[in-house]
Amino acid sequence: MLDKGATLGGEPKRGSIVKTDKRYFVRLNYAERAQHFIFLGCFVVLVITGFMLKLPEDIVVKTFGGARDTVFFYRSLLHRIAGTMMIAVSVFHVFYLVFRPAGRRWLMDMLPRPRDLRDMVFNMLYYIGVKDEPPAYDRFNYKQKLEYYALISGTTLMSITGLLLWTEYRWSKFVLDIGILVHGMEAILACLAIMIWHLYEIHLRPHKFPIDNMWITGLIDEEEMKAEYPLHYHKIMEDPKLRKIYIRGEDQDLTPPRTVSIADLARIH
Amino acid sequence: MRLNLINFIIFLALLFVILHFGLASAQTDVIPDTENCLLCHRYPSMGRYDKSGQKRIFYVNEKQFANSVHGKLRCKACHVGLDEIPHTDVKKVDCSSKCHIKEPSTDKEFSHINMVEKYRASVHGEGSAKKPKPFAEDLPTCKYCHNNPMYNPFRGMWGKSEALSNETLARCIGCHTKKDWAEKFYSHFTQRMRNRRSQTEIIALCTSCHEDREKMARHGLESIETYKDTFHWSQVKYGVENAPDCLSCHVPVGYTTHDIRPRTDPVSPINIANRVNTCSNQGGLQTCHPGATARFATGRVHAYGMKAQIIAATGEVDGVDAEAQGLALVRQRAESDIPAEDIYHYKVLKLIKLFYQVLIAGTIGFMCLHQSLDYFRTKRKHKKSH
Repeated sequence: MLDKGATLGGEPKRGSIVKTDKRYFVRLNYAERAQHFIFLGCFVVLVITGFMLKLPEDIVVKTFGGARDTVFFYRSLLHRIAGTMMIAVSVFHVFYLVFRPAGRRWLMDMLPRPRDLRDMVFNMLYYIGVKDEPPAYDRFNYKQKLEYYALISGTTLMSITGLLLWTEYRWSKFVLDIGILVHGMEAILACLAIMIWHLYEIHLRPHKFPIDNMWITGLIDEEEMKAEYPLHYHKIMEDPKLRKIYIRGEDQDLTPPRTVSIADLARIH
Repeated sequence: MRLNLINFIIFLALLFVILHFGLASAQTDVIPDTENCLLCHRYPSMGRYDKSGQKRIFYVNEKQFANSVHGKLRCKACHVGLDEIPHTDVKKVDCSSKCHIKEPSTDKEFSHINMVEKYRASVHGEGSAKKPKPFAEDLPTCKYCHNNPMYNPFRGMWGKSEALSNETLARCIGCHTKKDWAEKFYSHFTQRMRNRRSQTEIIALCTSCHEDREKMARHGLESIETYKDTFHWSQVKYGVENAPDCLSCHVPVGYTTHDIRPRTDPVSPINIANRVNTCSNQGGLQTCHPGATARFATGRVHAYGMKAQIIAATGEVDGVDAEAQGLALVRQRAESDIPAEDIYHYKVLKLIKLFYQVLIAGTIGFMCLHQSLDYFRTKRKHKKSH
């Protein structure tokens, strides 16, 4: 099922919306990639500026020397700016889920279903060699769903505790203590999870190493689509409406819609 | 013969040099050495080992002494006795004695007695004659915190320039023509207009005792290493000028270091009644929590430490077995000191921490297992398909 030639980059994956002989499938549209990009930037800044507080004294003095108070000032400022931006993106994402057709599709596809539990068990069986093939996934597999919900709960907790600590003088010390504890622990959890779960999944899996461009182009080719998300593939191929949304390349009608509505904006790739 | 002449010239030159430096070092800028102590004490090698084997140095660098806060005093103003040589009649310096200098506001003889009395009544004092504190030798004396500090140029308050000092001083000297006096007077003021010690130096000073678990346990106290878990310390670590050290909260504006009181004392700045003032630091140089509400200001600042541990968990306490002697005292103090509410908070926090530790270990463990299974399976599949 997995054709090495196709997945190991025999064909350039970097997608362009020109007519090619090859079919590409949209995994992330423009709005989703933009959200991901901003969120990613904020996350990196937050991790660096946050864990700077935990550095031991001698390392701080050695690294930053006499300028360390200036470093601290910008650290604090950047942490707050990045935090605010991350909250803004998250709020936008909620609006996106509710008010945009693409967002609503995302939400529906992302909802947990009993099937996911079954997929997980079957996938484990596949891992240990009991089954020969991994389960057939729909648009989002159980790994992605788990991560998405972990991300939502983590971001919510971090935002709430972060805002608590930002407005420290209004709250009791007990609430702040809980805030500090949760903010720190959640940060450790999030960092490790991103490194082990997310970065592995996207960049380190044997057939994706060293980097999968999907987060920039938003596209994957037909081979990969068939291999990784077969259920979704069949759904798309059977429905002309979905074909229009998800397929770029061969049989894609590239003429823009005559009237542009808000609903169409999310669809424009 | 010629050689002898050269030797003679060298001898003369050496004599000149020795005499010159000898005389120069005997000159005094500020106060003449009328007691002639420097006859002996100007030699850097002057010193001996005392009975306990400690090296004592009796050398006095005259220039340095003249530039210190006590530079105007005669030796005997503080070192009472010293009439015999060798000095067998020497008494310990008593900072509360009068030193024959007139205090200008009252025209009375100057003495540190006010500070010393306050200090005796404070938490660091020796207690009353009726109720002396146990292990009095642990308590810091004047000299534990105060050396004989040097006056130094006025820097670090309104700009870091040393030129500021010179310019301001020039204005004084316009009227107060005696330069030595003006400099001394100026230094006297400016010395007190800023913190001479940096935050890390203050923390190092306080923690030199307060992080000593054994010593603290003897007095029924807990070590304050949990300060280093606070955001306050994170800022101090980065040398932020506005960051709070020990004194920012325990000796805020309007209090003096000599009069630190326990939390239970109603005049203490960390007493619940005075907390809002302390946290908001109204009228202070540092901007702390200007909008502090009563709800914010009533909590415990240092993280819950050993005391809470003792009460929350009956039985053994981490790492304090060696101080079992003081443990009973700590427990007794802890039970009267820590309100039940705090213990409840401590338990909740501990529970949350445990929850997260389990969650992190579980989640990350599962992830590692899942991904390594995925890795090997995918590799194997690749091999098979080719």
